[in-house]
Amino acid sequence: MSEADFKELKKGGMMRQAEAGHFSVRLHVVGGRLATPQLRAIREAADRFGRREIHLTSRQGVEIPHVPQDALAALKEFLAPSGVGVGVCGPTVRTVTACQGCRVCPSGVIDSPELAKAVDRELYGKPVPHKFKVGISGCVNNCMKAEENDAGIKGWIEPRWEAPACTFCGVCQAVCPTKAIATSEDGRALIVDPTPCIGCGDCITSCPTGSMREKIRGYRVFAGGKFGRRPSLGRRILGVLEKKEEAMAAILTVLDFFREHGKPRERFGDTLQRTGFPALETFVKERTGLP
Amino acid sequence: MTTTLLDITGDVCPMTFVKVKMGLQRVPPLGTLAVRLKEEALKNVISSLKTEGHRVTNVSREEGIFLLEVTKGG
Ligand code: SF4
Ligand code: SF4
Ligand code: SF4
Repeated sequence: MSEADFKELKKGGMMRQAEAGHFSVRLHVVGGRLATPQLRAIREAADRFGRREIHLTSRQGVEIPHVPQDALAALKEFLAPSGVGVGVCGPTVRTVTACQGCRVCPSGVIDSPELAKAVDRELYGKPVPHKFKVGISGCVNNCMKAEENDAGIKGWIEPRWEAPACTFCGVCQAVCPTKAIATSEDGRALIVDPTPCIGCGDCITSCPTGSMREKIRGYRVFAGGKFGRRPSLGRRILGVLEKKEEAMAAILTVLDFFREHGKPRERFGDTLQRTGFPALETFVKERTGLP
Repeated sequence: MTTTLLDITGDVCPMTFVKVKMGLQRVPPLGTLAVRLKEEALKNVISSLKTEGHRVTNVSREEGIFLLEVTKGG
């Protein structure tokens, strides 16, 4: 088999193994969620075509290792009826990772799996200058490490202070982990500084009088994170977004930016080092009208 | 009515809330429990109290120690 053929197979999620003639087959998993019939089909496939082993990847993916080259087509065909597709590799949008989100996790602010599905539907496997990863955390606890992804999303609560009932008891200021709340100069108002605020909502949960309220319960976008050989953390862009559709629009436009400004084999974080984050932010704001 | 004082400045989560809950058992409905606590315990204690239908009716502080007046839910 030629090098070109291997490359073609790799693009389709068939990873050449150290052991000659064998492949580890990457499957298409979204947000770390599989229905039990799919899981049964995967097990069955590993029994039939591999060596009764499944590898769980670091990004919520599933691979079936030890598949002989001549069984690749049959394996793919076998899995198809259960709705399990094979994965992707190469310069494409990769597995979208997500935590359990608000339907399952009591801390959840957004429905991470639902958003993961939407992102996957629009973008999975689409070509980009270099691999591109999207990760979604349902809240500030950040179990899915939004900043490690080329594009990350975090559930976010933006607080708003309302004067009438506030007794200036100081609880919100005492609980704020980033000291983002200050008293105005005349001492008659509280000001939340959005720069240090991490969207945890602790000030709202703790306020005895209900004067600290939720302004927005929504999405925060991070861009340019990566791990690999030279890790760097993504930075947050845009304001707090209110709707799932807005978060989607942001991600789509971030990808447009990458396609327009990224060089082949350049990770998005490195593109942003060249262009600067403000260029991305301006681009996305102008195209989408997002805050 | 006398106000019972509960000092949980030496406790950590989740004992802080357990003690407040026990403290409230000794208070009649709409009665008041005063709780002395450290800053670290504020968030969990207040949010749990709110969830269980009690109200924090007054807050004062002294050298980093908070004193909450909790009115027991009916
Ligand atoms: S990130 Fe938040 S919502 Fe998601 S699993 Fe972790 S704690 Fe729960
Ligand atoms: S916790 Fe609530 S009542 Fe107390 S100062 Fe903050 S906003 Fe005002
Ligand atoms: S949401 Fe969290 S970080 Fe932001 S002001 Fe409130 S307590 Fe501070």
